[in-house]
This record gives sequence, structure tokens and C-alpha cells, in this order.
Amino acid sequence: MRNLHLAFSSAVVLVSSIAAADPYGTAGCGLGSMLFHDDKGLIQVLAATTNGCFGTQTFGISTGTSNCAETSAGTKAAQIFIEANREALAKDMSRGSGETIVNLSSIAGCANPAAVGATLQKNFKAIFPDENVSNEFVVNSVLGTLKGDKALACSHVG
Amino acid sequence: MRRLALLLLALSPPLAYSGSAPDYLRDLVERSRRQNLAAEKQWLRLVHYKKIYSGDFKSEADGRAFFLSPRGRTDPAAELEATLAGFLQEEMADTPAQHPQCQFPARFIWLHSKLNFDFDRLRPKRCTRFEEFWNRLSAKSITLVFSSYYLNNPASAFGHTFLRTNKTDFAYEGKRFELLDYGIDYSATVDTSNALVYGFKGLTGLFPGHFNYYPYFFKVREYNDYESRDLWEYDLNLNQAQVNLLVAHLWELGFTYFDYYYVTANCAYHILTALEAANPDLELSDRVGWFVIPANSVKAVFANQGLVRGVHYRPSIHTQFQDRLDRLSSAQRSALAAVVGDYRAPLPPAMGPRESVEILDVALDYADLRYARELIQGTDRQALEFKQRLLERRSEILIPSEQLRIEPPVLQQPQLGHGTKRAELGGGYSSALGPYGTLELRMGLHDLADPHPGYPELSEIEFFPARIRYNSDQRSVWLEDFSIVRVISLSSVSRFDTKPSWNFRLGVTTVRDGGCDACAAGVFEIGGGLARSWFGSKLTLFGFAQAELLGSPPLHGKFNLPLRLGAGPLVGTRIRVGERFSSVVSGSYQYLLETQPRWTYSGSMVNRFHFGNGFSISLEVKKVPQAWEGLLAPVIYF
Repeated sequence: MRNLHLAFSSAVVLVSSIAAADPYGTAGCGLGSMLFHDDKGLIQVLAATTNGCFGTQTFGISTGTSNCAETSAGTKAAQIFIEANREALAKDMSRGSGETIVNLSSIAGCANPAAVGATLQKNFKAIFPDENVSNEFVVNSVLGTLKGDKALACSHVG
Repeated sequence: MRRLALLLLALSPPLAYSGSAPDYLRDLVERSRRQNLAAEKQWLRLVHYKKIYSGDFKSEADGRAFFLSPRGRTDPAAELEATLAGFLQEEMADTPAQHPQCQFPARFIWLHSKLNFDFDRLRPKRCTRFEEFWNRLSAKSITLVFSSYYLNNPASAFGHTFLRTNKTDFAYEGKRFELLDYGIDYSATVDTSNALVYGFKGLTGLFPGHFNYYPYFFKVREYNDYESRDLWEYDLNLNQAQVNLLVAHLWELGFTYFDYYYVTANCAYHILTALEAANPDLELSDRVGWFVIPANSVKAVFANQGLVRGVHYRPSIHTQFQDRLDRLSSAQRSALAAVVGDYRAPLPPAMGPRESVEILDVALDYADLRYARELIQGTDRQALEFKQRLLERRSEILIPSEQLRIEPPVLQQPQLGHGTKRAELGGGYSSALGPYGTLELRMGLHDLADPHPGYPELSEIEFFPARIRYNSDQRSVWLEDFSIVRVISLSSVSRFDTKPSWNFRLGVTTVRDGGCDACAAGVFEIGGGLARSWFGSKLTLFGFAQAELLGSPPLHGKFNLPLRLGAGPLVGTRIRVGERFSSVVSGSYQYLLETQPRWTYSGSMVNRFHFGNGFSISLEVKKVPQAWEGLLAPVIYF
């Protein structure tokens, strides 16, 4: 009975730790995949001449609900925002302030962007331990950090 | 089985209404005819009708599904009546095909405002997909966004325009969360990776153009960071009803396409026609001419009194980098140079945390500017490591960076630019030919001696400049000089920016150096070099290594081909005094390959005195081996 209980609870721990490692998955909304295809040579020149008047089908109005077009408050939007703004957000995090932090705070429902900036700056190395970490890792660690600091009171990421 | 029934219903032609509400339809149609709604400006704009040569109407939309009547593309009344019939059509699934009420919400809003639908007889439908779009945007106001030029890419001097829907009317708490708003653009959907096919299809309208919407942060990352282009944002004075109608209309446009033409029906043009549909008082698309340059669409917006209620500036990563750099002391700059060379380089111990933060903040902007492509694509390990280590170093100093407050460079606003077309009528004297008259016409866009406001200061791009001469002694007229395209891109080198400058030209010119007797020759020129500016770009020096290929029957080059290849240096300077005067002086020397003469040279000076941005006086002096020439000409920009 006791063994069964132990086995059960360790299974729960195992499952929840997997879930903790990857609660959000990846939205696939990074800039590389969304906007910038690797056009080469003459096409690139022609494309520049026309001022990037090109769309991606992903964001067509008729294609309806693009997975990467959500910006309202909540976890899903936060995930998209973090992925798409990864480079700019990393910079603002290291600086402890900036536009991406203000906007992320709005999505996540955190009352005080300055406090969010300070927390993310302090945890920078945990969030970006090296240059090769996946978008998924960054999303999870940013949201984990926001949730972990109760003083931030980020009400939209549960 | 149920699915099949739904599908059949969705595919069936709009005949379902006939049995359900024929009387009400008859009533609506009658009233619409009495009010002559089909002739109203707003209806014509909602369906994008334009008058064609015959005087008839034709819609610019090319997608069939945009019309409910088979004759809808050319018959505004038939389309209006078919739309009313469609609105009365029976319930159908909202996907994949939509009920006409859901597909044409702007038509619905407008027709209801005119005919006051009886909702007991015309049942409003649930439009889940449209509602989701509507709620996502939650638009309270509209901003027109102009993306200015790319660095080192003069072609992008054309700029790019798109719309932004804002979730707030004005800023609240001093901030607007603009990154979470939506950009809506009209753009070509490209389906080829073959450059020739691409060029051909683009010029002949074979690419379909679609409306797309993106979270604004995608646009900011793309333009500000990836391409390093400043953004100008123009808040438009539209009331909530007009904003609603615009959003509803953008939804309608999202389900059709327009044939995309590079120069005419391009991204700027259809943004304007969409705005016009939302507010019939606006006159935009007729103000831009057939050669639509996005900067002109900003001018068209300003030509509607009171339409712009605020202008904002969003600096590119290059502008941010330059602004932070300008604030550094010379000791900090030296430390920055060391860090940029090696991210481990220690900062001088005398520097306090504030000063260190300032240095590392510039270094981070440098990394994003220099390695924009590599960082996004993850292709360059060294670039990734460089930025990562700098980020770590910066994060160790637990001080928040202060927000940059960059003064908007008001003179760079696109609406201040001179007219894109230029005409010049002047008289001159040539030591070889005597007095002459000259007429010059240029389609676009800007050269280094034109008034600089509104244009990239150190870039020149011209399309189809043609200079015709009349010589009174010989009583003859000829084409002196013509270019299909002529480009000069100057980029000031500095300690942290060593981008090369370059030039390029394809056209026809008149040779006056002994190679032939004033013969016309096809010319292809290409060169590369360096430039350096001082005093806020008022003084620029440049030096190029240049190659030139001339082709003309009287020329005799290698293998007796009518071609002549030359190469040599070109040096020059551009000087600007305020907004009133600009001058470009340049000289080139060329060694000619295996032909007579063995060498040639050319020197020129172009001085322009500007009176506003529409009129200048040009004084030009030129020296070539066979002649001295001088020219005085009034120049108008229009």
C-alpha cells in the first residue's frame, strides 16, 4: 500500500516536472520562420527595390486565425511575444528596462514594468544561459521567472 | 451526412433568399433605387470602382469572390442589389464560405445606415471569424506608418507605407502599448524564386496582392531592427464610426486580391483606396499620380486638411546606436572600440557603473546592427557568442538603462520632400559648339544636389532622367544624356561603421573625348569606394574606383568590337549650406583599354540654389577633353 502510494506520488512528481520543463511548447512564431526567408542574389535586390512589399500567407486576413497574431493578455500571447521579440527582449532584459519589457508586462498583467525589468535582469543568466538555448526554453524561463516572483503579481499568466 | 448538407448549402448560389423574404428584398431594392445609392461615392469606393476611359465603372479588385453579382465588377447597381439579396440569404455555416453579411461587413454597415434594415425581416447572422478578427484588433484609432529608407540601399528611398490599428484612442498613462497593436499592409504574394520570372511578373501584374495583418511588433522588428529603417507614424483623424468601417472593409479586402504592379497598383496605392472607402470625404488615391511612390501617399494624406493629428518617430537600430554613441566621452569611445574588437576587453577601472553601462549599451546596439541577419538566422556562431557575452556582461550591472529620448529629425519627414518629378529648361555655352539650349526631364527620384529634406541625404537614385539639347548654330536637336537608372550610395565611414560606398549607372551618353565625334553611346558604369561626412552630413568627401563600358558603332575597342572599356578613379565632394544651397563637384580619370585615345577625363560641378522645395536655380560647369561647358537653368520639382 505504502509502495503503491510512493509509486503514485513519484509518478505525479515525474509528470509534473516534465510539464514544468515544457508547459507551453513552442508557438513557432520566431522571426526567422515568420518573416525572413533566405532570398538570395538578384531576388533580394529586386525585393529591396520594391521595398519589401511582400506578405507572408501566414498573416493573410483571409487565412483567419493566424497562430502568431494574438496579442491580447494571457499566456499564449506572452509566448508569441517572447519568441518573436527574442533578440530585442534579451537586450532589454540585460538592460533591465525597455519597450519590450513594458509591453510584456502589459500582456502578462504585471503591475510594475520597472520591477519586471529588475527581476528579469537579475535572472538573465538563468533565462539565457547560453546563445544556443531554444525559443521554447526562453519562453518557459521568462514565464517561470514572472510567475515565480510573487511580488510582481503578474495576473495574466497563471 | 450533416457535414455534406452544410457544404452543399455553402456552395449553393444565393438563390435561397428568393423564397424566404422576396417582399422585403423588393422593398429594399426599390428604396435603394429611389435614393440612387449605387451612384453614391461611398458605395463606389467600398467596391473599389474607378471610372475607365469609356466612362463606365470597373472595380480594381481582381478576385471574383469580391462580387455577388456576375456583372458586379462593372455594374455598381447590380452589385448593390445582389448584395442586398445576399444579406437576406438564409443561414449557412460560417466556414469555409461565409454568409455575405459576414464577408461584407462594411457594405452591411453602410447599407444599414442608408436603408435602416428591419432586423426582424433581415436577420443579422453570427460571424464568428469576423468577430474574432474584430476583437483582436479592438481598433480605436488608425495610424499611417511610413518606413523610410534602408541604409546603403538607395532603391529603398521609395519607402513603404502601411496602416496600424490602435487599441487605444490616445496614449494612456503616458504610454501606448503599440507593439501589441496591429499593422495591416497590402503586399504581393510571391510564388517564384526565379529572378527573371519575378521581375517580369512584378512589372506586369501577375503577382496577386493581398491584405495581411501582423502584430505591430513583427513590423517593428522587421523594419527598425532587421533592416534598420526609421519609422514615421501619422495618427489619423478618423472618428470611431470611420475606424469601424475601415476595419470592416479591411476584412472584406482580405478575401479578394488585386493584381500587383511594382510601380502603380503597389502597396502604397491600395492602402489609400482602403482609407477612402472608410471616409468618402478623403481624396487620396487621385493625388498620387500613376507612378505611386509611398512618400507621395504621405503627402496625399497631408493634402487632406486636418487628417493628420499627430506625428511620431520610431528610430531604427542604426539611429539608436548613433544616438548612444554621440553621448559617449572620448575615453568611453576608446573603451567601446576595445569591447567591439574583443567582448572580453576590460573597461578602464576608473569608470564607474553608469559609464560602463553606457559603453555596454552602445556595444549591444552595435551587435544588433552589425549582425542583424546572423542573429535571426542563427548562422554565425561568432556573432551569437559576441552578443551573448555582451548581454551577460551588461546584465551583471544591476542598473536599469535610461530610456533613449531621440529628437525626431523633422527635416527627414517624407512629406517634406521635393516633388519626385523634375523638369529643367536652360541655356548654356559650349567651347566646342557655341550656345545651346537644354531640356531635362526626370521621372524620379532624387540626386545629391536636389533639396535634401525628406530624402536620405547621401543617396541618389534616378529613374529615366533625359537631357535633350538644341544647338542654335547647327540647328539640330539630340539626346545628350539619358539613364534608365542611376544610383549613388554614399555611406560615411567611421571607427564603428566601415560600409563601402558605391555607384551604378545604365544609360546613354554623348562622348566628347576623341574616341568619336560627339557620338551617342550606351553606357554602363559601376564603382565602389569610401566616403566620409562631417558637420552633420553638410560636407562629404568620396573616392571611388570605377569601371565604365561604352558601346557605340564609331568606337573601336579590343577585337574591333564597338565597345570601349575604361577604368580609373573618381573623387568628389558634396557640400550643403542649410536648406538653401547644395553643390556636387567631382572629377574622374580613366585609362582606356587598348584603344585611342589612351585616357580620358571628366570634371563637373553642379550648384543648386533652392527656393523652397519646388524650385531651384542650377548652375553647372563641365570639362571634358573636347570642351568646356556652362549651363544656367531654372529647375522645378513637381
